Amino acid sequence: MSWKTQANAIWRICYFYGFLALRRAPLLFIAIFLTPLSFLFFLYVVAPHSALPFGVVGGILFSALFTGNGMMNDCAYLRLERQLQQVFITSPLRPMSWVLGMALGELAWTIPALALFIFVLSLIVSLSPIAVLGLIGVVLLTWLLATSLGFLISTFFRQLREIWPIGTVVFTSLSVLPPIFYSLAAVPERVRWAAFLAPSTFASQLADRVAGLPVTAVPAIPALSSVPFEVIGMVALTILFTLMAMRLARWREP
Amino acid sequence: MEALVSRALSKTYRGSRGTVRALDAVDMSIAKGRLFAFLGRNGAGKTTFIKIATALLLPTSGTVELFGVDVVDHAREVREQIAIVPQEGKPFYHLTPREHIVEYLRVRGATGESAKNRAQEVLQGMGLVQYQDIPAMVLSGGLQQRTLVAMVLATEAPFLFLDEPTLGMDPFARRQVWEVIRRAARKGSTVLLTTHYLDEAEQLSEELSVIEGGHVLYQGTAEALKSKVHLEIRLQFEGGFTTQELASYGQVFTEHGRVTLLTTRGRVPELTQRALERKTAINVGPVTLEEAFLTLVGRTIEDEDAEAAP
Repeated sequence: MSWKTQANAIWRICYFYGFLALRRAPLLFIAIFLTPLSFLFFLYVVAPHSALPFGVVGGILFSALFTGNGMMNDCAYLRLERQLQQVFITSPLRPMSWVLGMALGELAWTIPALALFIFVLSLIVSLSPIAVLGLIGVVLLTWLLATSLGFLISTFFRQLREIWPIGTVVFTSLSVLPPIFYSLAAVPERVRWAAFLAPSTFASQLADRVAGLPVTAVPAIPALSSVPFEVIGMVALTILFTLMAMRLARWREP
Repeated sequence: MEALVSRALSKTYRGSRGTVRALDAVDMSIAKGRLFAFLGRNGAGKTTFIKIATALLLPTSGTVELFGVDVVDHAREVREQIAIVPQEGKPFYHLTPREHIVEYLRVRGATGESAKNRAQEVLQGMGLVQYQDIPAMVLSGGLQQRTLVAMVLATEAPFLFLDEPTLGMDPFARRQVWEVIRRAARKGSTVLLTTHYLDEAEQLSEELSVIEGGHVLYQGTAEALKSKVHLEIRLQFEGGFTTQELASYGQVFTEHGRVTLLTTRGRVPELTQRALERKTAINVGPVTLEEAFLTLVGRTIEDEDAEAAP
């Protein structure tokens, strides 16, 4: 199959697994933005209003990160319960085209939530078109990183029941604990560097910057809070996770 | 030309509860364009073989070649030539049967127009036309299975692996699927089919293989298998005889409360005479593939049990 045909196949998978599913089960749309919206509502009630923009940016990144959770559960479900992954990869379709199609399908489900949060952000801070493009760039990197991780994890399980708690642990650790919904300034100065152990912190710092929100310094390692480090860190981590998914994912049972 | 050749193919599963040898030095070959049935009890090794041959599972040792290409070393090339109905696979819950076929064909590289035309043809052949626009989630289990099979058969891939494709289907639907499988074979596809319906294997296959405990016990035609067991006649007794007194005549088993004896042609007159003396009705007929299969596998199990006994 040529690259053009592979690209068309990727689009078809995204269309029938993402857009068509969303059209036929609109509840998916609500389910996806309900959690970040709940966090946002909680922040709105208990935190000072200056924290609200961080919460909205958090909602954007949470939605992008949770595509990884969806990817993990869906890929495991389609492989273990429906055996459809086997049907699709025993064909001229390249296995990585299947993964990319599925990942784009997950992104398709998230588009309404992302649009909503970006719209809300534009109401509370002044967002230029360049800033919106910047946010979209951060979202795409975050989506690629999260879905690569989600797919990679999914290939190591033989039972669906085993995978659900893993998803909760991994993606909650990536999206709620690090400074996604709150500013890095809330983390004690001495341990602020530790937040960068989570790849999502890079995304959060970049997204805060792009949205024009104040970015907190890391006194222990000042370079951590510099733009080049954040950009290089985010891109490098995305490439690393993507390569890991390509190289380490189990396409064949051992 | 051979479409599939396996040489000394072995697979051992290792787990916390020990090791299981699922395939043990399996040598098998399937000629191009052949409709081939793979028979065996649950856990005999059929699905393991298919998973290895479709590059979904790595063998422990041995090789499998598909159209002369090694499955382990050249998985990508092999995958371009195949399509599989996995055992107990299910379709997407939100897609209709028509969408399943069209989208799968398009993902495999077909154009929109040809995918739609082919889908219509297969939906017709599989008796799915009246369900073509109903999402799979509201279809019955049998119709869902038919959808999955239709999606794969529509590809007319050079090699079709069908792992229990008619599981859960009614007899009418099974016959429709058989016809579509035959059509694919007529157009040149090689088909490897596993099934527990022995009538299906007999109806469809040009050649078959029987596997038990990871060993291939037999490869050849259904007719040759029946003659291999050396018991060509089936006698069913409506009472009047015990299994013990018939044991010396051949293979005896009880089915639906009736004593069934598989025996040779030469013993029939004597047994008929004895049945007449006892005023017992008997049914006489040729041994079926199912009975030949049971006899072949049953003997192997008995031999293994005898060897394992202290």
